[in-house]
Amino acid sequence: MTVTFQLNGEDCRFDGDPMTPLVDILRQERFLTGTKAVCREGFCGACTVHVDDEAVPSCLKPVGLVHGCAVTTIEGMSSGNQALHPLQVNFEAADAVQCGMCFPGMVMSLSAFVRDNPHASRPEIKAAMVGNICRCTGYERIVDAVAECLDQARKAGQLVGGIHV
Amino acid sequence: MSELSATVMNLPRRDAQDKLRGRTKYTNDRIRPDMLHAVLLRSTVPAGRIRKLDVSAALRCPGVRAVATGADAPGLYGIGIADHPLLAIDTIRYHGEPIAVIAAETEEQARAALAAIMLEVEPLAPVFTMAEALQPAARLVHEGWRGYEVITEGGARAGNIAWEAKSSRGDVDAAFARPDIRIVESSFTVGRQSHVPFEPRVAIGSWEDGRAHIQTSTQVPWTVRNVTGRVMQLSPGRVRVTVPPVGGGFGLKFDASIEPITALLARMTGRTVVLENTRQEEMATCLCRENAEIRIRSAVTAEGYIAGREAVVLMDCGAYGGEQVFLTTMTAHTLGGNYRVGATRLVSRAVYTNTPPNGAFRACNGVYNTFALERHTDEICGALGFDPMEFRKKNVLGDGDLGATGQVFEADVLGPMLDRMEALRASTGTSEAKADGRLYGIATTVGTWFVFVGPSAATVNLNADGSATLVTSGVEIGSGTMVQSLPQMVAGQLGLAPDQVIVREADTDAAGLDVGVGGGRTTVSIGAASIAACAEVREKLLRTAGEMLQTRPEDLVLRDGRVEITGRPGSGMSIPAVVAHAQATIGPITGSGAFTARNTPAMSGCAMGHFIDALDIPVFVVHEAEVAVDPDTGHVEVLAYRVVQDVGRALNPRAILGQIQGGVVQGLGYALHEEVTLTADGRIAQDDFETYRLPLVQDVVPVAADLYEGAPSMGPLGTKGAGEVPILAVGAAIGCAVARAIGKPVQQLPLTPPRVLRLLHEREPPPEFPHIAPGWAANTLG
Repeated sequence: MTVTFQLNGEDCRFDGDPMTPLVDILRQERFLTGTKAVCREGFCGACTVHVDDEAVPSCLKPVGLVHGCAVTTIEGMSSGNQALHPLQVNFEAADAVQCGMCFPGMVMSLSAFVRDNPHASRPEIKAAMVGNICRCTGYERIVDAVAECLDQARKAGQLVGGIHV
Repeated sequence: MSELSATVMNLPRRDAQDKLRGRTKYTNDRIRPDMLHAVLLRSTVPAGRIRKLDVSAALRCPGVRAVATGADAPGLYGIGIADHPLLAIDTIRYHGEPIAVIAAETEEQARAALAAIMLEVEPLAPVFTMAEALQPAARLVHEGWRGYEVITEGGARAGNIAWEAKSSRGDVDAAFARPDIRIVESSFTVGRQSHVPFEPRVAIGSWEDGRAHIQTSTQVPWTVRNVTGRVMQLSPGRVRVTVPPVGGGFGLKFDASIEPITALLARMTGRTVVLENTRQEEMATCLCRENAEIRIRSAVTAEGYIAGREAVVLMDCGAYGGEQVFLTTMTAHTLGGNYRVGATRLVSRAVYTNTPPNGAFRACNGVYNTFALERHTDEICGALGFDPMEFRKKNVLGDGDLGATGQVFEADVLGPMLDRMEALRASTGTSEAKADGRLYGIATTVGTWFVFVGPSAATVNLNADGSATLVTSGVEIGSGTMVQSLPQMVAGQLGLAPDQVIVREADTDAAGLDVGVGGGRTTVSIGAASIAACAEVREKLLRTAGEMLQTRPEDLVLRDGRVEITGRPGSGMSIPAVVAHAQATIGPITGSGAFTARNTPAMSGCAMGHFIDALDIPVFVVHEAEVAVDPDTGHVEVLAYRVVQDVGRALNPRAILGQIQGGVVQGLGYALHEEVTLTADGRIAQDDFETYRLPLVQDVVPVAADLYEGAPSMGPLGTKGAGEVPILAVGAAIGCAVARAIGKPVQQLPLTPPRVLRLLHEREPPPEFPHIAPGWAANTLG
């Protein structure tokens, strides 16, 4: 079966088993290794990508189900020397990163969250992070950085992601 | 002290942007289509004899390029004792043990060919527990234990006891016979903890110009090099190990495991071979923090003096000795730490069982021995009517006190740290109100740990653009040492900005010996070697500049990328100008440095079978936890957590605070819900993220931490390792706080809701150790 979809803004065609997990196509065929395959069961969130702007774990997404969809991976969030997403800026500024393997998934999950929840409270941020496991950091610095990111956006009168309100 | 002011800073991580953009290439991101994929045939029984192993049909399967068995890599490896084959040879000792490996063009082809391997195994009666292994008539997990090469002399061994270490100081029998003491005895048992690094163990092997090259996710490139040499019976110099950024280690990658297999297959095929554990394999064969059983007795006077103490600690090493052989040493310094004790004797035994081998995990051995010691201390306080905080203040190790092996501790550290904890609590307030009707407990505990010092080497090349290249065998596992403390230190020594210091990633062909990134040693040991290398660079740089400036070298300083005349900012010349002159006159400016342990001695006769007699750099912590226990569900909520940590000198306080938050949370998992159990056939039951309950964001609280500086350290600039120790006393603080909340003794971790409910309703059987003899001496090999 042939599946076609948009991948980081470009046409992508896959011929093969439509049940193939999207993460395997990203990593093994497109060499987009920023998407991490850690638990492969939907618990850890490290393989999160956007499918039509919604954050989903790519390990649980058969490629057949993204036919006609727009898929964005971490590589598509800021290509080349383009500016980082404000979340990435805040994670870097807060010295939140350690081994770093959970962060592409954190960025993909939380970028959708902050876009849709510009007034989220700290408990709401934590609730949004339950699907992203980090083994290194103990989380709190990540939560701080998300809160700071939302605060900055509110002060600037913008939605995170750059859409003016 | 100008070096220090130029070194201490909250330097951000240079690797953060690439990690955040998903551009960092960890080992398992480097798999290419032209590589062969290796897949392991693993044992499905916990114990057996291999009667037949025929791989000829597998070799004929589509895509298969090589099949290897134990016969292809006959050398044995280990720590202390060489007892471990790369692939099982004749005998199977645990469920999941690798027996054969297939390399094929695709992973699917390799997996499909597994079914073509003809394997016949005669099952043997497995020895699953330490209680079974220590029975006089127990089947030996290693029948040929006497024949193994002993790599480190000194430990007593017999049958299923892989290694025994003892410490003994003073007349313990006399202390327990005193008429003015009360004896308090406690027993504790703890399970295993799985590391769950996000990057599993993975290696990419190739065979280049007659040598192996292994790229791998490891904390110890030199161990991988040496073990590969041993098992392949090659000179280790014929193995090169390079290390990309590591996606988490936590001690799991502090030993070799599957890496040599890729070199073996690369030599057989002439191709590059990748072997990556699946998540299930990774967790089922995790070199876990070991399960342990502890009995401790103390003789304490009515005034609160600990006259005598003795303990037996059994550590399950699983099927092979591994790290536990070494870790028997640590009991003297962990269970034997924290307090001033009159006379003491401790025995620690690594016991073979037919279970997956255990290994190193952040603050190995210390985590559960600190839990046991601190809970025992609370039981002493309960039995004799002491206030737990006052008892600790009175008895913690101070200046001139003796450790279990007779080491003399320097300076009062723990005492002032307890005062600092009280000040920290006063500043944060307490959280009892948040208990909201649940059972509330608060506990303050102490812990003793160390820096695993050991040898390191460093080279610094000063470049014509004024940058410096630091070449070491250090590895960035996430702790930040390679991207923060080391460039900070080199920059501080050479008057550069940290971004002018290029840090080479580990390559055993480029850098000298190093015993690995673990034991809190990187900043201390590689840092000291780097500073020594910088001293040589400085000497050459200042001598050359002195000639150019017609000034004595001792009147010159390095500052802001310039060689300046002391006290005259902006004078002199730029470092590139000096380097250019040196290159034309004496040659490129380089320096090399080396460092190793001081090997602080034990008191004569006090330490037997120890790999380390005394602590070159002790590290202390004070941890305080507040918990609320739901009496209906047994759920424990952590309301607040506070840490005072002895850091020697904080080079990057913000990075240390990040390590404390992360380490405490790993400890909360260990204390509360990370549970590893064995199935009836000896498998690790929790081999995925559904069954192994890692800490999630809603389980955690922000840790309030105070960095205690100024305690003595032989580390460079007064540093101590800060990344390993934050996990040390979490099990202790949570265990003590829960015990106080529920008013029942806590003798086991983790404190899962069902266990807490059983404790509350007195349905949790206390640990019983019939295999630990009542008399201490009967638990030793004499």
